[in-house]
Amino acid sequence: MTTTVSTEPAPGPAGPAPVVRRGRRLRDHTTALGAVGGVIVLALVTVAVLAPVLAPYDPAERAGTPFSPPSPDHLLGTNDVGQDLLSEMIYGTRVSLTVGIVAAAAAMLIGTVVGLIGGYFPRLGAVAMRGVDVVLILPFLPLLIVLAAYLGRSIVNTVIIIAILIWAPTARVIRSQVLSLAGRDYIVAARSMGAGHAYVLWRHVLPKTMLLAIGEFVAAASGAILLESSLSFLGLGDPLQESWGSTLYWAQARGAFLTPAWKWWVLPPGLLIMLSALGFALLGYALEQRINPRLRRS
Amino acid sequence: MLVVAVSLNFALPRLMPGSPLALIAGVEVGEMTAEERAAVTADAGLDRPLVVQYLSYWKSILTLDFGYSFRQGTPIEELVLDRVPWTLLLTLTALVVSGVIGIALGAFAAWRRGGKWDVSSLAVMIALESTPQFWLGMLFIALFSVSLGWLPSFGATTAGADLTGLAWLADVAEHAVLPVLTLSILSIPAVYLSMRYSTLSVLGEDYIRTAQAKGLRPRTVMLHHVVRTALLPVTTVLALRLGWAFGGTVVIETVFSYPGLGRLMYDAVSARDYPVMQATFLVFTIAVLLANLLADSLYPRLDPRVRV
Repeated sequence: MTTTVSTEPAPGPAGPAPVVRRGRRLRDHTTALGAVGGVIVLALVTVAVLAPVLAPYDPAERAGTPFSPPSPDHLLGTNDVGQDLLSEMIYGTRVSLTVGIVAAAAAMLIGTVVGLIGGYFPRLGAVAMRGVDVVLILPFLPLLIVLAAYLGRSIVNTVIIIAILIWAPTARVIRSQVLSLAGRDYIVAARSMGAGHAYVLWRHVLPKTMLLAIGEFVAAASGAILLESSLSFLGLGDPLQESWGSTLYWAQARGAFLTPAWKWWVLPPGLLIMLSALGFALLGYALEQRINPRLRRS
Repeated sequence: MLVVAVSLNFALPRLMPGSPLALIAGVEVGEMTAEERAAVTADAGLDRPLVVQYLSYWKSILTLDFGYSFRQGTPIEELVLDRVPWTLLLTLTALVVSGVIGIALGAFAAWRRGGKWDVSSLAVMIALESTPQFWLGMLFIALFSVSLGWLPSFGATTAGADLTGLAWLADVAEHAVLPVLTLSILSIPAVYLSMRYSTLSVLGEDYIRTAQAKGLRPRTVMLHHVVRTALLPVTTVLALRLGWAFGGTVVIETVFSYPGLGRLMYDAVSARDYPVMQATFLVFTIAVLLANLLADSLYPRLDPRVRV
């Protein structure tokens, strides 16, 4: 072992640390926030997948005395019919995440198709964008409620309604990307060599919009989870699929927030909704900062 | 736009699967004989051609005649007009509160761009945007009304108390605090984000550098040069936020049992009182459209740069 005393500066940045540019620092934070979001989402997905293993009881089973406070048997107590609240939370993860992710995926699909067509065929696009305007301008929550009331309460309808409401922003983002792509030389070149519209869209335009679409999907999942919870809270969710929102609906209906029971009946589902929406939002924010060319500049 | 919205309201119940009878007249179709069904159909005017139905629908809207609520037996326009002031009270107050706070925080965050304050406030705002509004309301009730006993949790006035003058005003204010607080807190992020963005873009303008070069104090530059300009696009966001807040009242007023339009809509949905539900939806839509119109017409007055 020899110790060499080196007069050379250590490898890496030479001299005193360069003044960190402020924008750089923000970007580091963005990555950190995105990582936090990713961990949250991953943890929740794990809970959802492993629900039967993790949950101590069947959420539909009347496992204890109604309205009992937390105890070793029931860590979060029981609800008004004696169902174990912890198991309800764990199984609720499945419903809430499924609705959020499926609805966001459907919205991404609609938004991407409308955006692609809208950006690639300008005439048609003008018409399509009027549709986007209509969806964006209508009062969000009331429209959600009206649609839910007409369609009836089922988990499939919930997904459809939410997807109908949240595809519009994606369509806008994708369209503006496609608009800037459509005039590029290589697209014009491909067209002039006789490539059909469908081929150009599929082969050259779609791949360049996929990243954006994924970013939009993650952000939309956050909104979809919140919408699902509002809908279930108002009693318009699927009566057979207990989500976090429907737990809160029953807590509200039974006046749980007027008694000490709010600590284990109202607090946990809300925190979980918030956590999952936050996880997707952080992830979406970080992705957007990386992907969106308009934001990357600054 | 209004035409589209009204037409949509007309078309929705008629496009849904199943008999529109149940959705428009709100009756239990299954329990009726064929003759009864025909009578109700004729009564509701559903046997007429669609075009005629559509025209008479417009006529009833323009004459503010929404028909009767068949649950409560009162004319719908009366029910709606009763509720509008309460909802306006909540939404407008919340708009002012969230506007002031959001603008101040947003401007400050942009000023300290990339600093600790900027990043942490951004994280808080994202967290707030992820909070379910009805849940925040429930927590406020549990905390401020039940545990601390400071504020009422229910209604817009104390039931049965025959108050007048200042005492009545104080009572109304007391009941409005929690709903307004909930609505405002959740409206802050949108204002904050737009103010932050707008301030950042103004900070890059040449005239700001000129002001700094003149040797003005940063505070002066910020307050007199930056914020004044940065406020302009935020007014649009605020106007649009008003429309959003109207919709948000559906859950907030449900949590606080507040007698506004949102609660009316919720009750109508629960009772399957479809005419009332449609009327409230229409009022919400018109409110949003008006807010948009306001934003569009206000903006050129405030910002001479976009004047044509």
